[in-house]
Amino acid sequence: MRTRHFVETYEKHVSLSHNPVTWSWALLLVLALALLPMVASSYLLSLATTVGIAAIGAIGLNILTGSTGLISLGQAGFLASGCYTTGLLIADYNWPPELALLMAGVVPALLSLLVGVPSLRLKGLYLAITTMAFSFIVTHFLLYAEGITHGPYGVRVEDLNFLGLDLATTTGLYTLVLVTAILVTLMALNILRTRVGRAFTAIRDHDIAARVMGISLVRYKLVAFMVSSFFVGIAGGLMAFQFRFINVDIFNVLLSIEALAMVIVGGLGSVAGAIMGAVFIVLLPEATREALDLLPTGVNNMLSTYIYEIRGLLTGLTIIIMLRIKPQGLVGLWRDVQRYWTQWPLSK
Amino acid sequence: MDLFLNLVASGLVIGSIYGIIAIAFAIIFKTTGVLNFAQGEVMMLVAYTSWSLATSLALPFWLLVPVTILAAALIGVVIEFVFIRPMSGQPVFSIVMVTIGLAITLRSLIIMIWGPDAAPFDASVEGGLIEIGPVVLFSEQLFALLLFCAVSAAVYLFFRFTRIGIAMRATAMDETSALLMGVDVRRISSLAWAIAAVVSGLAGVAFAVMFARAPDMWFQGLQSFPAAILGGLDSPLGSGAGGLIIGVIAALSEGYIGHGLKEISGFIVIIIVLMIRPYGLFGEKELERV
Repeated sequence: MRTRHFVETYEKHVSLSHNPVTWSWALLLVLALALLPMVASSYLLSLATTVGIAAIGAIGLNILTGSTGLISLGQAGFLASGCYTTGLLIADYNWPPELALLMAGVVPALLSLLVGVPSLRLKGLYLAITTMAFSFIVTHFLLYAEGITHGPYGVRVEDLNFLGLDLATTTGLYTLVLVTAILVTLMALNILRTRVGRAFTAIRDHDIAARVMGISLVRYKLVAFMVSSFFVGIAGGLMAFQFRFINVDIFNVLLSIEALAMVIVGGLGSVAGAIMGAVFIVLLPEATREALDLLPTGVNNMLSTYIYEIRGLLTGLTIIIMLRIKPQGLVGLWRDVQRYWTQWPLSK
Repeated sequence: MDLFLNLVASGLVIGSIYGIIAIAFAIIFKTTGVLNFAQGEVMMLVAYTSWSLATSLALPFWLLVPVTILAAALIGVVIEFVFIRPMSGQPVFSIVMVTIGLAITLRSLIIMIWGPDAAPFDASVEGGLIEIGPVVLFSEQLFALLLFCAVSAAVYLFFRFTRIGIAMRATAMDETSALLMGVDVRRISSLAWAIAAVVSGLAGVAFAVMFARAPDMWFQGLQSFPAAILGGLDSPLGSGAGGLIIGVIAALSEGYIGHGLKEISGFIVIIIVLMIRPYGLFGEKELERV
């Protein structure tokens, strides 16, 4: 049986991982993901792209909801503002895509101050509703301000070249999403282990106690909002590259709930959890479709008319079941498995 | 002036639907501290069930209402028992998340059972057009207004005078003390869900009778959040009044400004209200002690 690690210095305590084995596994995973385009079909690759974008968004939401404890039901609004920023800057103003993607993070981050300021006085449920109201107002604006956003006609993004990557190909887009996802993951992990990240956790656990310890609630809640919506906006910008035709219809309530489901299923407050949750929630409808194909044709035809409803049903049930049997999420499950494995003959 | 009065009247009608649903939100929030995101879906389920009862049994309207109330109470109790009861002792955050999960589960289930098409609710209220001065209302619209008054009065009397209502208020105030005084706290929670299902279900029926029973009825639940927030989540009557205010604002902004403001004016109003008064117009300010 292995003993625990005994951390002796402060640097070791806050380091990402003091275990070289973890690092090598992580590197192996990145390598495998980088080599994926060589072996995978283009369907699998575009699925992986969707997972990557979802993971970026989930990491962003996780900073706000998981680490800082501010519930947001308005992810659709932040995603939509990021997506439209990129799309419109490229389609109408001929900005280079690199800069347009960056603005996809900046614009939602500034917009989040609109929600962030009331959040200083609001708690929990009131905040959840404010963010939801925000997302309705954003989508409404996108639909009705035709002069700026093309309204119901949507925005078409032409074939793009991003730093030499051809985004029209699945491989090009996949590479861009993978690199962005890795950068976002590292940024999130590093933010969470600094003073700022610990302030977030303190606010989540008890905001009054945090304030007594000298953490400025105003500042850190706004920072949490801005960082989170920056990442979510980037995910939205990548969505513009992926869909190439942007319409306001996809940014509905279900999208916000699915984003929340990713964070809950993965495990609140953990970056790895957010990624696992994104993988799970994106693959869930795909797996269901595969499973439906195994059923006899009559049943299959009947069920496939309701594919959208089945998706909602599964998302809902996953949230309910996960919260009941494993509130720590997939990441908690993973830790249990690890513990069982390392302590094997003595594990309970 | 006639336009204004008619807009106010139609605003009051849709506002009374919002108000009734907001009362349902407030009942559950006041007694259990949980904001039920699935209230709109519960309303939809009751309305669909009532529609099935009305079409298959061909019940007259005066008989349909009590049958619907019974069915709604049953639905509320079952949902509370299956989904909410096992979560007791968990943080409120988790229970609220469960209601969000429940919302999309119910929504999908209802569409899978009853199909994606809208259908008219045949058991309509007799009467046709009713003129009150310059204001013209359909009898169905008048029914919604009357229902709002009846529900508000019933909720007020229930919480003020009945033994169970007082026990519910006591539980809301301090669960432990209520338990020590002999209140069955667990039953209170299921009772709150039952009452909320009945109240919102009646709103659902009134809404379906006015328009149709349609798969997007759940959206009325989200539309009623501003009402509940405006009135304060812990005050059922305040939430009801909030519904009327939001309804009138929505109708006026749609009538005079347009651009689909009807759907989001409520949300704009609550963002402003919450910035000024974080606990709603009629809500109680919470004192926090560490």
